[in-house]
Amino acid sequence: MASNRTGTTRSFARHVLTALVVAAVSAAPLAAQVRMTVPAQSEPIALRGATIHTVTNGVIENGTILFNAGVIVAVGADLDLPDGTRVVDVSGKHIYPGLIDAYSTVGISEIGAVGVSNDVNELGDFNPNVKAAVAVNAESRHIGTSRSAGVLTTLTTPGGGLISGMSSAMSLEGWSWEEMSLEAAAALNVNWPNPNPRRFRRFNFGQPEGERPTYEGQVQQIKNFFGEARAYRDAVEAGEEVRTDSRYAAMIPALNGDIPVVVAADGAGQINDAITWAQEEGLRVVIRGGADAIHVADRLVANDIPVILTSTMAAPGRDYEGYDGAYTMPARLHEAGVRFAISGGSGSLYTNRLPWEAGVAVAFGLPEEEALKAVTINAAEFMGLDDRVGSLEPGKQATLLITTGTPLDMTSDIEQAYIQGRELDMMDIQKWFFQKYMIKVAQYLRIVS
Amino acid sequence: MGDPLSRLLSALGLSLLLVTGAQAQQATRTQPVEGIRDNGTGYHALVGARVVTAPGQVIEGATIVIRDGLIQQVGSMAPPAGARVWDLSGLTVYPGFIDAHADLGMDQVPEGGDVGPTHWNPQVRAWFSTTRDLQDDADRRTALRSQGFGTALAVPTQGLFRGTASVVNLGDGGVRDRVLRPDLAQAIGFQRSFELGGAYPNSAMGVLALMKQTFMDAEWYIRAWDSYETSGRAFLPPETSEALGALGPVVQGAQPVIFETTSEEEYLRAHSIAADFGITAWYRGSGQEYRILDVLRGRTEPLIVPLDFPDAPEVDDPEAALNASLADLRHWYLAPTSPAQLADAGVRFAITSDGLSSITDFLPNLRIAVARGLSESEALAAITTTPASWLGVERTHGTIEAGKVANLVVSEGDLFTEEAEVRDVWVQGTVYSVTRPTQIDPRGTWRISSSDEWGFDALLTLEGPLNRLRGSIEVAAGPDVGEGGSIELASASAVAETGRLEVQFAGEDLGYEGMALLAGSVRGDDFYGWTSLPNGANPSFRGERTEPFQGAARGAIAVNVPEIDLPFIRPMMEYGVSAIPDQPGAVIVRNATIWTQGPQGIVENADLLVQNGKVVEVGIGLSAPGGAVEIDAVGKHVTPGLIDPHIHSGVSAVNESGFAIVPEVQMGDVLTHNNIWMYRQLAGGLTTAHVKHGSANPIGGENAIVKMRWGALPEDLKFENAPRTVKFALGENPKRRQERYPDTRMGTQEIIRDHFLAARDYEREWQHWETNPEGLPPRRDLRMEAILDILDQELLISSHGYRADEFLALVRLAEEFGFRVQTLQHGVEAYKIAPELAASGVAAVVWSDWGGFKLEAYDATVYNARILIEAGVVTSLHSDNSEIASRMNWEAGKLLRTGLTPEQALSTVTNQSAQAIAIDDRVGSLKAGKDADFVVWNGDPLSQFTRPEQTWVDGRRYFSLEEDAAMRVQIARERTQLIQAVLTASDNGNDNGPRSRAEGN
Repeated sequence: MASNRTGTTRSFARHVLTALVVAAVSAAPLAAQVRMTVPAQSEPIALRGATIHTVTNGVIENGTILFNAGVIVAVGADLDLPDGTRVVDVSGKHIYPGLIDAYSTVGISEIGAVGVSNDVNELGDFNPNVKAAVAVNAESRHIGTSRSAGVLTTLTTPGGGLISGMSSAMSLEGWSWEEMSLEAAAALNVNWPNPNPRRFRRFNFGQPEGERPTYEGQVQQIKNFFGEARAYRDAVEAGEEVRTDSRYAAMIPALNGDIPVVVAADGAGQINDAITWAQEEGLRVVIRGGADAIHVADRLVANDIPVILTSTMAAPGRDYEGYDGAYTMPARLHEAGVRFAISGGSGSLYTNRLPWEAGVAVAFGLPEEEALKAVTINAAEFMGLDDRVGSLEPGKQATLLITTGTPLDMTSDIEQAYIQGRELDMMDIQKWFFQKYMIKVAQYLRIVS
Repeated sequence: MGDPLSRLLSALGLSLLLVTGAQAQQATRTQPVEGIRDNGTGYHALVGARVVTAPGQVIEGATIVIRDGLIQQVGSMAPPAGARVWDLSGLTVYPGFIDAHADLGMDQVPEGGDVGPTHWNPQVRAWFSTTRDLQDDADRRTALRSQGFGTALAVPTQGLFRGTASVVNLGDGGVRDRVLRPDLAQAIGFQRSFELGGAYPNSAMGVLALMKQTFMDAEWYIRAWDSYETSGRAFLPPETSEALGALGPVVQGAQPVIFETTSEEEYLRAHSIAADFGITAWYRGSGQEYRILDVLRGRTEPLIVPLDFPDAPEVDDPEAALNASLADLRHWYLAPTSPAQLADAGVRFAITSDGLSSITDFLPNLRIAVARGLSESEALAAITTTPASWLGVERTHGTIEAGKVANLVVSEGDLFTEEAEVRDVWVQGTVYSVTRPTQIDPRGTWRISSSDEWGFDALLTLEGPLNRLRGSIEVAAGPDVGEGGSIELASASAVAETGRLEVQFAGEDLGYEGMALLAGSVRGDDFYGWTSLPNGANPSFRGERTEPFQGAARGAIAVNVPEIDLPFIRPMMEYGVSAIPDQPGAVIVRNATIWTQGPQGIVENADLLVQNGKVVEVGIGLSAPGGAVEIDAVGKHVTPGLIDPHIHSGVSAVNESGFAIVPEVQMGDVLTHNNIWMYRQLAGGLTTAHVKHGSANPIGGENAIVKMRWGALPEDLKFENAPRTVKFALGENPKRRQERYPDTRMGTQEIIRDHFLAARDYEREWQHWETNPEGLPPRRDLRMEAILDILDQELLISSHGYRADEFLALVRLAEEFGFRVQTLQHGVEAYKIAPELAASGVAAVVWSDWGGFKLEAYDATVYNARILIEAGVVTSLHSDNSEIASRMNWEAGKLLRTGLTPEQALSTVTNQSAQAIAIDDRVGSLKAGKDADFVVWNGDPLSQFTRPEQTWVDGRRYFSLEEDAAMRVQIARERTQLIQAVLTASDNGNDNGPRSRAEGN
């Protein structure tokens, strides 16, 4: 439950409020920066005295987490710290792993309605070879706001067509996409065609009714493309001399089960058909969307197929479903035994709302620790990143949050974040505007008072 | 002759028998006869029929004597000598039907559009006359006659003001012989005709605004011409408008208006505008009347309802069934009961063939209405006596009695309960053949056999109504057909004139690809026939009937739907309620954390006392009057009902973009109660919302403020005595339309300024006229009057915009004209001008963290509200989104991280929201005397982990988790029953029940 916060003033805001009076008087210029990229971790750091939510190994009260060279060395109540460790007292605070958005376009989409600022949908139906990483703008405003909300890792994901391309696992700190990239080709994305275009319009952009291909035809196209890719792989493996095809070549890790194939599917029929297909192909499949997943729950459990839910903070799709149909979906799936992650539902611009997408599920029956897993370890596991992120364990990256409480509720604050041991500059464009225009307000208040 | 109707008509071999009657008296005809006169006697005696002379009155074996188009005698007597005797033994005769709202296809828009001084708006075609332009389509008359109609009110269909409707007979006489009552009523519809063109209006509220302005203009037109004439034509005349001239009798109450409505909301709107302008109104209903019986009960204006019964929702696979809504399923089930429900409610109505996709569905659908509860005599009255009296032809039409016009329907069987055929229709003494009697009845089971090569033995079973035979053929195993098998017939028909039976079936089970044809002659129980097989063979068959048809002699109408008890709910959809909740005399909420959002602040362990829908007190340990409803709220939080100053749900349209300046359009005119979002918003604690016009115009329409009174009709949703507000829009949206000024923020500013100035000029013209009434009287201009209201701050500006510059420009423009902008909405950059807004007293209505979706939203910051509040600006959040409006507490919660206190954060969705739209005297806080709108939460309302448990509006509990759970059970039960009903109806071949889509439309 949320604590009663009546009368408290938040740390960042308090800091600004006291500072701005000084600023207004002295007219000292603000630092002309929004967010500074920080250097790699150069000394061991121990955060001491916090409640540590490891996600995978329970909660440690009054614990310490030690990390060096970007990697967690130890987590515990009573650690021996090596010489030269910088010890930070975080008594009374909480430490969580950084949140992971398993479906985001942070970095490749800047302003929704400004087409040229978006690099999401490549032309054509089959683009398995495109990788989001190389288009990530390290200076995007959305990176800072996402970090302020606790999201430190995104699966930045292309869209459009039937095979959209590769999601790239990005760390939200670094001078360039190269430095940020955890895994450039983390997962292959397939958009399952829509047998019932009237209900789920999500994947039917821009095609006039008459020219829209049939459901069966599109399924056949996907099957054929995978068939061709498999033949290409087999020919290459057999040492045949083939002319290179960068699209088929890019598919090989997915065909071999080295990376997951994320299939976007919302309707019950779509999900069912996608599973049938993925099993025929022998793929490591993850369903993304899953609006009707509850109607396919038994099969998802039986075949151990995980789901990335994209619309928990949403209205129900059908009028008879309860007003809370989407809010309760995670709790119902959990009860049914389906494994799921929760991702940002509203697309790229709003990855900063990921915590609320998970939090709403708690209001509607999902145990809080399950909601936390849905935006940390589960997302990491499904996307093959759990050796690096998703929980606080030795050997994983020191990508974490220091908070006053759960990051899934707005009644607590996220005070500081570390990515790979780097202590982030928590400024972002929204806070920057706040600082700047509070100075204007202060000047005005002085005039009127 | 390509459409299904034409094919059907030609197949029926419709023809005008050359039996003329009312060639009328020589002395009253103007047209000279050319050639030799055609003078049949026009003297007929119809004998032996069962005659239904009027609803509920029958004479068996009666004789009807017709002379010169009129009925001379009806009764049990011998036919008079000299009359041509028609033996109608075994047949039934009804009075000719009257369609009180028929589209006779006479008003196609001429190429190049209308010409002449008609009206500036092409949708205003009030000048059109169905009498002057009577050139109707013979196919439509024939089709209407095939359903028994002899008379109709021909209603024009083009535009909004459509012209005058006339009563005509449906015979094939010349245009001068058909009109019975010329130009009886003006026809008005709410759906514009795109082929007429014109940009304005393009929304439901624009249509209503144009109607109001046009009625006012028609009134002015009379006065203006009158002052011109009475002045002795001392100055130039007013403009000429045939449309306004034609509307004179309407606004003077001398001519009725027939409103064509396509929904129950349109009926309510039509009724309201008719009342406001003192118009005599008739209504063409929508088929949704069963949803507003309480409104219709006791009303006496003519109501003409269609039989437009919906197709069954698709439920034939599990996923389709998953998507079938209760609203659609209920409408499918209940629409056919609408006429019966009207009759039971004592509402008088006529029935029209209008609104059907094919006129030939009329009689089948009428039978469905009868099968679903409408009595035969009520059905007959609705197409005879009732329309006759409304159309003013009751002295000559509507019943079979001496002296009336000889309009008759001759049928084989009871037209209302059986698959009966209309044999002939008489119109003014002229008989039109509709169908020939069937001469064979091949139904039953036939054993057929052939000894020819490729022949086979088979059992042929035929059933169903004679005009829609169906059946199967079971082929015995044999040398030429292998294993044989039972095959559904693809088609079966009996040709009356020749006694021919023709059936087709797929040859696959016989081992052939393609269709097999079997045709032959039926005589008694013998059959002689031959086949055409897909392999080219033509074996001959002989057969005999082994079993007669087991069903009723004639296909009785079955009601193919099980009885389902569907209680009345409003809205007629998921979560609809049978009544709005009671208002207890007193309610006390005990031991809660109460966020008063007033001077008392947040009070722990407190009680809230409510009486008669108003807050009485918040305090500790309050005593409540006896009988008060007690709510134990230990551990709960209570807040004022949430307020959203910007949504677009619950209206039939959002944008009137036909002009850049449209403050005359009013969202309050187009509210709809059929709005599931309202229930969801209630479930999220929302109790009041400001329903905004869209952002297509620098000056948009007038907004509406509503309370979430789920289950009420639109008029009752309105917040009583709310301030009037008008939408403005700045920035990208109003300049989006390529062909329309403005195209820049500069132009936006100027077009607003120019209209402000125009309104002042308008005001001066009126002032001048009032002191010196000479020359043409000024007309009332709703647009100018709305702008004057803006300038006088009677109509408060609520302006859409994003950037600081455009907002500042509007604030300064208003100040130039001496008034204040009430609120800026969206205000993504409002924080940049927070001090200016504070100084000018402008409230800001902003988002929590929405931005980045377009260029002008790129500088969004979640700190927006915080900065504005620090500067002293009244600051509210808003959703601009139906869905987000259902969780405004979490939007407010997001502000906690900006450093606002919880009470401040909640104020942006309660008390400050009320202030922003000037309704804080009534709502927004839990202070004595305010409306008892409150929410019970299971925890801190600003926490992401909290949910609402009860929502109260006006001291009535409109939402609670318990009732919600109970309704879900009820909804699930009804959906299951209705889906089963659809499947049952489809299984039964759906001959008589409402047709399913799968049955091929």
